[in-house]
Order: sequence, then structure tokens, then C-alpha cells
Amino acid sequence: MAPDPLPTVLPGGPDDAWHQRMRLERELHDGPALRLSALALRLGLMSHRCEDPALADGIGEVQDELHAVLEELRNLAGKLYPPLLDEAGLGPALRQVAEHTDAPVAIVDSQERFGTALEGATYFALAECLAALPVGAPAVEVAISREGDELVLAVTGVEPDATGRLQETARSLGGRTDVGAAGSVVTARIPCA
Amino acid sequence: MRVALAEDGALFREGLQMLLEAAGHEIVGSVADGDAIVRLLATEPVDVAILDIRMPPEPDGGLTAAERLRALHPDMGLLFLSHYAESHYLMRILGIGTERVGYRLKEKVGSVDVLSDTLTRIDSGEIVIEPVLAKRLVEKPQGDRKGLIAALSEREVDVLRLMAEGRSNNGIAGQLFVTPKAVEKHIASIFDKLGLQADTAAHHRRVLAVLTYLRAQREDG
Repeated sequence: MAPDPLPTVLPGGPDDAWHQRMRLERELHDGPALRLSALALRLGLMSHRCEDPALADGIGEVQDELHAVLEELRNLAGKLYPPLLDEAGLGPALRQVAEHTDAPVAIVDSQERFGTALEGATYFALAECLAALPVGAPAVEVAISREGDELVLAVTGVEPDATGRLQETARSLGGRTDVGAAGSVVTARIPCA
Repeated sequence: MRVALAEDGALFREGLQMLLEAAGHEIVGSVADGDAIVRLLATEPVDVAILDIRMPPEPDGGLTAAERLRALHPDMGLLFLSHYAESHYLMRILGIGTERVGYRLKEKVGSVDVLSDTLTRIDSGEIVIEPVLAKRLVEKPQGDRKGLIAALSEREVDVLRLMAEGRSNNGIAGQLFVTPKAVEKHIASIFDKLGLQADTAAHHRRVLAVLTYLRAQREDG
């Protein structure tokens, strides 16, 4: 899943943009996605009742096409605001990204929550960094924790250059980044409520 | 089969009802949230309860309802339907139970045959996982092998990895250049070390071993 840098600033400020993205994801889920899934069921019923094998095959093909559309909607929703990020937080959402990376990635998290906007901004920054890992790269660890009133993100085992968006995100949110030598730890500290 | 369903989207709920009826199943009740299905089934159990994961009570009423249903009726099957096939939810489902459970994408149960097959397998005690998710899980083994998996020898981990890829004993033997007899010995030792009792059916233990392996890797990751 390629994270997509949509504009993140709305008239109400950057926080509003993340809430807006989350609302759009829910609308996709509760509206078109559910209607299309219901259509797949209705087609299944038609196919069951239909006695013409050629027509039943045709209905099956339309169902396959619907499955593909739903998969596209899921990808789109993930680029807006991953539902798992909303429901379970940074750790579980990044673990899902790690399932698709080309290198082994371990996510260590304390299961704490940091709010829609901060979770959204840091998720996409980290997801971009993980998605860029080359095939066969050594193991990477992302540790997520809270220290006082800061969200601390420690990324071990990546080239510091690959963490550009994370550093930029940390800066834009009033935080700071410590960059170690190549292959060591990049740590972002971002104020949180 | 006697079934009940809980789904907050009216269109999908009605579609599923029609499909279940066409498949010849008896629908005991059809409700729109997790609390209602627990109330409905408190006095009238079914063979399989079909639950939308993301429904009231928010955020995942299907899972909280399932925990209560499993406590009330341990033998009742649970089929979870979702718009997303995610390992996060699979692990939560396996935390509720590793028998008589299923997790499938909503649009993929859109045929009488698939729906009935899914329900029958759950009712007979199996774990039914959306194929795309099962594939994703076994294709990307990663993380440190700590905890339970650490108790296994290197060769046993090899065997378990090949089991997770869905290979037969003969297939595993071929891959590792050992005899099928040796593979059987390794598998017995894996079951033993993972604490899987001998009174469970062989196929079932195989699924559980693979899931334990995947879960341990996730927890370490």
C-alpha cells in the first residue's frame, strides 16, 4: 500500500484534515463498499436461481469484477486513513504495513493512543519509510512509545536518508529528530497531549 | 443449519438473509447490533452465529458480542464477516476461540455454495480463514522466533514453516531431503512442544500449530 500524500491542510487547520480523511474512509465503508458487497450477494442469489449455465458463468464474472472494485476501494480507503489505525492505533496499523514490506520489520509498541491527527501524520511518514525498504534489506525495528508528553518513534536499521518524511513530519508538528550513523537509530520526538 | 445474523447495514443484512434462505438454512433471527444478537441467542442457541465485526456497540461490536456468545454457548459456531481481511482481527478472533470460527470477507460469501461450505466447516469444528489472508500470513514469515517457537529445533521450525505453506508430509520430506517418517516424528515433536493435545484431530492440530507459529511471530514483532 503506497501512502499517498494528499493535501493535509484544510481551512480548519491540519488536525481537521486528518479527521476529514477518517470521515471519508468511514463513508466509503458504510456507503459504496457495503452496497457493492450487498450487490455481490444479490448476484449470488440470481446465479443460484438461474438455470442457464452460460448465464450463471456470466454472473460469476460480474461478481469477480465486483470483488476487484471492492479491492480498489479498500486500497483507496487505506490511502485516506487506514481503518485499523482508527480502531487499534499505530502499532497494529504499522504491523499491517510490515506484512507487505520487502524486508523483515518488527513493530514494538505500548498500545497507547495518540489521537487521530498525530497518529495519521506519523503513520504515513513511517509507512513511506517502510514501503521504500529494498528487497533483502536487513531487519528493521520501529519502536513506538510515550515518554512524558512526547510520542517517541525510534526506527532502527534504516538509512537516515530514508526517514526524510518522518523528520519533516516531526518538525512540522513541533518535534525534533536525532539521527545516528547509517544503520543505527533515528529517533523522532513529537509533543502529544 | 440453524443460523442467526447481526449486521448493521440493512442492505447487506437483507441480501445475506435471502442467500441463507435460498441455501436452505433456518434463520432464527436477524438483528443490527452486537447486544441484540447476545439477547436473541441467550435463550435460543444456533449452530452458527454470523457477525459483522464493525458494528455497534462501536468500534467492533461483532468481537465483543462473540466473546459473550462463546462464554454462553461454547459449542456455537461463529462466522465473522468484514470488509477487511486483516491479521490483527484474525488474532483477536483466535483469542476468542480456535475451534468453530471463521473469518471471511463480506463479498466472498456471495454464493450459495461458498456460504454453505463455510458454515458447514465451522459447524464441524474447523477454522475457516479468508484465503487471501491465510496466503499473506504464510508468505511473509518474519520477526524473531521467541517464546513458544524458541523451544523448537531448527529442523522443526523448517518443518513448521513448510506446514504453514500448506505442504503435505511427503511434500515437506521432499523439500528437506528426509523421509516422510522423519517428518512425522518432527511434527509429533512440534505438537508436543506447542502443547497441542493428542486427542485433537490430526488436520486440526496442523492448523493450530501453524496458527501458533504465526501468532508467536506476530507477538514478537
